[in-house]
This record gives sequence, structure tokens and C-alpha cells, in this order.
Amino acid sequence: MTTRVLEIGGLAAGFCGRLYRHAGADVVRVDHAVPDAWVSERALDVFLHEGKRRVGSADATLIRQLAEHADVLIAEGTPQSLAALGWYELSSPAIRVAITPFGLTGPYKDWQATGSVLLAMGGYSYLMGDPDQAPLNLPGHYVQYQSGQHAYVAACALQYEGEGNQTADVSMWEVVLSLSQFTTVMWTSNGQIRQRHGSDFGLLYPISMFPCADGWFHVNVVPAFWSAFTHMLGMPELEVDSRFAQSSDRVLNRDLLEQIIRERLGRKTRAEIMRLGEEARVPTGILLELHEVLADEHLAVRDFWQDVGGVRCPKLAYRIIDR
Amino acid sequence: MSQKPLRGLRIVDLTHVWAGPLGTRMLGDLGADIVKVEAPLARGPALSPPGGVGVFAGGEPGTEPWNRQSVTIKLNRSKRGICIDLKSTHGKDTLLELVRVADVVIENFSAQAMNNLGLGFEVLSDVNPQIIYVAMPGFGSYGPYSGLAAFGPSVEPMTGVGALLGYSKDQPRNSAMALVDAVAGVSAAAAVVTAVNRCRETGRGAKVELSLHEAGVSLFGEFLVDYQLGAQHTPIGNAHPRYAPHGIYPTLGEDQWIAIACPDQACWIALRDEARLWTDVEQFDEPSHRLAHRPALDKKLSEWTREQNKHELQQRLQAAGIPAGAVNTAPDVLEDAHLKERGYWVDQALNGQPTVRYPGLAIKLNQKERSVGRPAPKFGEHNREVLQEWLGSTTADVDELIAQGVLLDRPPG
Repeated sequence: MTTRVLEIGGLAAGFCGRLYRHAGADVVRVDHAVPDAWVSERALDVFLHEGKRRVGSADATLIRQLAEHADVLIAEGTPQSLAALGWYELSSPAIRVAITPFGLTGPYKDWQATGSVLLAMGGYSYLMGDPDQAPLNLPGHYVQYQSGQHAYVAACALQYEGEGNQTADVSMWEVVLSLSQFTTVMWTSNGQIRQRHGSDFGLLYPISMFPCADGWFHVNVVPAFWSAFTHMLGMPELEVDSRFAQSSDRVLNRDLLEQIIRERLGRKTRAEIMRLGEEARVPTGILLELHEVLADEHLAVRDFWQDVGGVRCPKLAYRIIDR
Repeated sequence: MSQKPLRGLRIVDLTHVWAGPLGTRMLGDLGADIVKVEAPLARGPALSPPGGVGVFAGGEPGTEPWNRQSVTIKLNRSKRGICIDLKSTHGKDTLLELVRVADVVIENFSAQAMNNLGLGFEVLSDVNPQIIYVAMPGFGSYGPYSGLAAFGPSVEPMTGVGALLGYSKDQPRNSAMALVDAVAGVSAAAAVVTAVNRCRETGRGAKVELSLHEAGVSLFGEFLVDYQLGAQHTPIGNAHPRYAPHGIYPTLGEDQWIAIACPDQACWIALRDEARLWTDVEQFDEPSHRLAHRPALDKKLSEWTREQNKHELQQRLQAAGIPAGAVNTAPDVLEDAHLKERGYWVDQALNGQPTVRYPGLAIKLNQKERSVGRPAPKFGEHNREVLQEWLGSTTADVDELIAQGVLLDRPPG
């Protein structure tokens, strides 16, 4: 049976609805507030809303009527704006998920936020960028879309349970906090505040990005790959070089090692570096511009794009192939 | 008995590092019965386990350092743990027996690892035709890049985000925090709940393919769409392409900052009135003027913010209806009153270890107090419990597997 989803709100609800749409649901979207978007309205329509039906009014009576015919309601806003839509009076549909910046309760519940504010408060910004420059924010809608994914997981879990009349409260700030990597554990375990180190990972080296002849490349040399990386550099003798042999040595002598990497690889092209990385079995990546991602042979072979009105739009992160 | 929504869903979890364990932690927090299957050396050899980053809960390795790695503890709560040597015949057989009674198997090895172990999708689905098998290789199981070694940070610049993140076009930056792992982890949880609900309708198992690469491209894909529609996007630091101010501004103290954004005119008016810095207000009241003169605007704003405490300024601006947030560090968020009141954090103490606070689940169900599942398992802690409960194994059966070295509760070495 096709799931009927009523989606109210901005970008996070839109991403949640996108996941439902790809899963075959009948998604009706009610636009509620102008989203704080980094891209054009047309791009959002293609990326988020393809295949959905749209309703132009966020009138509370209409919302209630639509909700009565839905299986799942995904509503995004502040607690105040959701209240104005009648959120707290709704008894249908059986599954209702609210996505708010700070949650439905708590001292900050009525605070305002953008993605950049939530990244800052959530500990991401402090770690991104250079130590001698301002912290960096992520471009785009990482927070909103990860929150949309959380809302989707919550709603699908409640559908799996199938017991009816369930609500979920997804706080976008808490989403960011729950996706921190070592931010809190470095403090709680070691009393260390994790710092930002440019493109360096900071805790191991070399896990970083470097310039090369036609752009930038990245290598991810965790200790298990050190030996392979010395071969990628064409300097196997470095494996036992006392300046670099241990992981802690490589962090200590980071600048010297960076200089060697730049000398050995900096004049090569991205394609040459990828080939060297592949041969040595070292996790290697190259910085691709947007047009290069769109032209990427790997994604084409994998049939990753869907055509939406003549525009190539990414499919989802996952594909489900029935047995 | 758990009353969480995914109770009864059995998941065999072969994941490691970050993306996979993050996804299964979400599912475990929502009530799924997760059995984490670890290889004998998954936590390093007993004599010299890798310290890793974050290192040890409570700061000390203790007598069983492999059980105190704080990142492992953070990512593996709400799971039970067993250790099976999958390179042994009996180990493979044991895993297949678990798969026979499971709903989902999930792994994030390299593309061919499970096939090389003789445990590919075809083998698993022969054992259990309804199994959902989720594979999370870096670049997927086929395609020109599928053989590449991949970690989140090396995949990241290939997703398009590399063309967007940085101070300028000449100063691109990696997130330095394995961003695509976080995307793929949450996507994996989404994939699992999608597939199990679908399996309930069709009665058929499925293979789910999720590559870190495609997870990243998909999440930032709107920029790829916008590019085709004629937009140009390059790294622009902390600016927003459509409005100003939007940035991170210095505050009182060393390396202290606040993020401020004015996505609409009402926010701008509120900020302007709060800051009282502009004599030429009329000019800056025009949104296009603010955007065109962003550096001057940011400079002026910085002069004002740098004299103020980030938390006090956050409070003050929020009270005026302006989106603003302190650039927080770990101690900042751990002390935050809002998060405490919402019961966000999870306090865990493994046997005999100090209590440590970890990030919780960002989903609160039915406005109840949040509760996640059990603390992360010690290495091989539930070997006996899981085999007896899922497979009906006898004590003698389990003893035999332990004697053969198929099941371990201590790393070798």
C-alpha cells in the first residue's frame, strides 16, 4: 500500500519527503516559510521536490484536513510556527515528526537558527578551517538534510512498529552534535579541546589535502597505510626512517613530511596521483570541480543520475536491489 | 523488554570505523537488536592495542585497553558484541547461522572483502532469502573506482563539496572531519528502515548498495543541479551567496567566535538596532547593497563583536530574534543548559570504568525522556548470550567454539 506523506516546511522536511518519494510514497508538500537556500528555487524544485504534489497554503484548517488523509506527517519550523499550524492539536496522522532547530522543548526552543548557526553551536565550525583564520562553515544544507534523514529514519521506524499515534521530535542542533566525530570524546577522555588544522585531520599525518599540477589531491594515510604510502612516494626507505617510522613521529615531523610529499607528488597531475594511489593501495582522492563530478565516468557507469526535465539530478545515497 | 519502535529487528553488524557503526547505533538506539560481530584483531592486539584518537575512556587504558577506546564506546552503545574468527570454517558457519535468523546484515568493508571471505550476498541470501544485505564500500561494488582504497576524508573532495568548501577558490579545504562518513552512516540507517519496511510488503530480501562517494554527492547534489541551471559556485569562506551578513565573527578571548546570519530584512533591522554601528544606515538597509559591500559590513560587525563574550552575545542576539550561535567547543556543549534539560547526553560506564558523557540520539519519541540502549559491549562480551538466544546453542556448543578459537573474548597477541 502506498504511504501518504504530508510534508510541511522548508529544506529538512523537503529532504525527508525526497527520501519518501524515492521509496514510492505519495508525497504532498505544503510550503511553509521561505527557505534559507544556497541555490535557486528551480534547483531546489529539481533536487528536493521532483514527483511531489504541492499545496500553496499553510492554513491550519487545511493542514488538519490533509493530515486526516495522510499516514505520516513531517513538519518543519519553530515550535511557535508549528503551533500556529495546529501541530499540538493534531491527532492524525498516526505518525507525526517535528523538525525544529532546537527541539520542541527546552530553554532555546524559540531561538532562531540557520544551518551555519547550528554548525557553529554544534561544534563543527570550530574544527574546520585554518588555526590562524576564522573557523569555516560548510556550504549548503548539510544540517537540514541530515535532519531530514533523521526524521525519515524516525518515521520509518514508527511505521515498522505500526502501533499508531506516535510522535518524534528531531532537533537539528542535536543532529549536528550526534554526528560529531572526536569532538566530545577528546575532551571527556583526554581533557583536550580538538583544534582546527586546515585540511589536516590533525591527529594523524598525512591525512590531508595537497596541491598538485592541475589542482588538489588528498591522501588518507592512517598508520596501516604508511608502508604503502612510502611506495606511492617512490621512497620506500622512509618506512623505517626514524623521523617518520612511528605515527607520532609523522605528526611531530609533519612539516618535513609535507615538504617531501609536495616535492614528490606536487608536480604530477591528479590523474597520475590517482593512478599511483591505486597501484599502492593508498586511499587517495582528487578535488573535482562541479562539472567534473557531473562528467565523472564512475557515476555514469553506476547509473547514478536521474533526468529531471533535462537536468541531471543525483539519485539517493543507496539503491535497493530486490533479490 | 524494549518498547522502542525497532524492537524485534535483528541486525548482524559487521561494520567498523565510523560510517557503519554510526548507522547501526542509530538503529540500536531505536530498539533494533544489533549484534556487532568483530574480528579477533578489530580492536588491535591485546599487548599493544591502537590508542587511536579520543583514546581511553577516563583517560587511562586500564588492564583491558581494548575495552576502553572511547570512540568505540561512543559508536557502539545499544549493541551486543561477539567476536568470531570469520577466516575459520566454523566461524563462517556460525555467522551463516546468525544470518539465517537475522533480518539485516550490514558491512562496510572494501568492495570484494565479503566475497573473498565466501560470505557475499548470494551466499547469505541462499541461507536466508529474506535477508536485507547492506554493503557500504567507499565507491560501491562496481564501476571504475570500485577497487580503490577509500576512507571518508579521501572520498570527500571527489563529491563536489571540495569545490565549495574553503576560504576562496585558491584556498579550498577538506572538512578534516570525515564528513561523508557521517552522511553515509545516517543514510545507512535510512536505507535499512526503507528496506525492512519494503521486505515486509514483498516478502523478498534485497541487497542495498551504499557508497560513501554517492552519499556525499547526493547530499550536496543541489549544487550540481544549480550548476546545470547556470549558477556558479566556488568557495566563499563563511559568506552566503544570497544575503549578508552571514559569517563567523571574532569575540572576546582567544580563538572565540560567533556565527551570525540575517536571512531576511527583519533580522537585519534587529541586528542593526542592536549593534548601533551604522551612521549610513539607509545604504545598508538595502539587501543588495549589503551583499555588494559584504567585506565592509563584516569588518564593521567584527569590530562590534570582538568586544563581547560569545555566550552573552548569543543570548542577546537571540532575544532580539536574530539567528546567532557561539562557535562552541566540546566543553561548551557539554555544559549547555538546554541540552541538559532535554536529556540529550548519554552517560555510560562499562564495568568498573568511570562514567563518561557521550552524544545521544537526536530523535526524541513521544516527548518521553530519552533512553538509549545498553552501554557498548566489551570485546566478545555476548558470545555466549547471543549464540544461546539466537541459535539455541548449548553451553557445550559454545565452549567447543571457544576451545577451537572461533569465538574470542580477548584479542590475540
